[in-house]
Amino acid sequence: MKFAIALFAPPHAPSSRRALRFAEAVLAGGHEINRLFFYQDGVHNASGGIVTPQDETDLAAQWRAFVERHELDAVVCIAAALRRGVLDTQEAQRYGRAAVAVTPPWELSGLGQLHEAAQQADRLVCFGGV
Amino acid sequence: MTTLHLLSQSPFTSPLDSILRPLGVRDGLLLCGDACHALQPGSAPLELLEHLPASIAIHALEEDLQARNLTAPERVQVVDYPDFVELCTRYDKVNGWL
Repeated sequence: MKFAIALFAPPHAPSSRRALRFAEAVLAGGHEINRLFFYQDGVHNASGGIVTPQDETDLAAQWRAFVERHELDAVVCIAAALRRGVLDTQEAQRYGRAAVAVTPPWELSGLGQLHEAAQQADRLVCFGGV
Repeated sequence: MTTLHLLSQSPFTSPLDSILRPLGVRDGLLLCGDACHALQPGSAPLELLEHLPASIAIHALEEDLQARNLTAPERVQVVDYPDFVELCTRYDKVNGWL
């Protein structure tokens, strides 16, 4: 079965961890993830600038490792990312900002990508809140 | 058409009744995160859940129960992440109450 997974919460929220454990279980169960979509505060999961204390779980790093290991399509909502200062090289240049937070495998794109993923998947599962 | 409803908010900050009202008789409920506090013995949220039709299956995520030192009543099925995925395939749709 094809799963689209959307995450609305930042890496320090329990639902980010829950979404990642769910995503791991989806693949372990022989299913497919057609797209991960990071929306609203969820865009912070794609930020390369997060420094997590050594005795805490580094969810942003775990998400990156997961996406890279399984070569997943991981889309970050561009509008949500811009307003939170989570920019890739292209957007940083476009708006004259010094800080770049998003690098591959993450990709900034529009909300249409969530719509398309939901249409193409058998299930859309959203995680957010607490 | 059946729907699995995911709940993660505490029933003490986000009232359960408005969420339970639109539930179909063959829908399912999965409590995770702070929503597991709805299983607190003797609480009003637990009473609400116990009055749901028996055809509505109630599940709770094991690690979130453990983290809160809660025990699931007989009515509630305790699930892990592989079960969570299987539940998503068993229902036609998954609705997350964010």
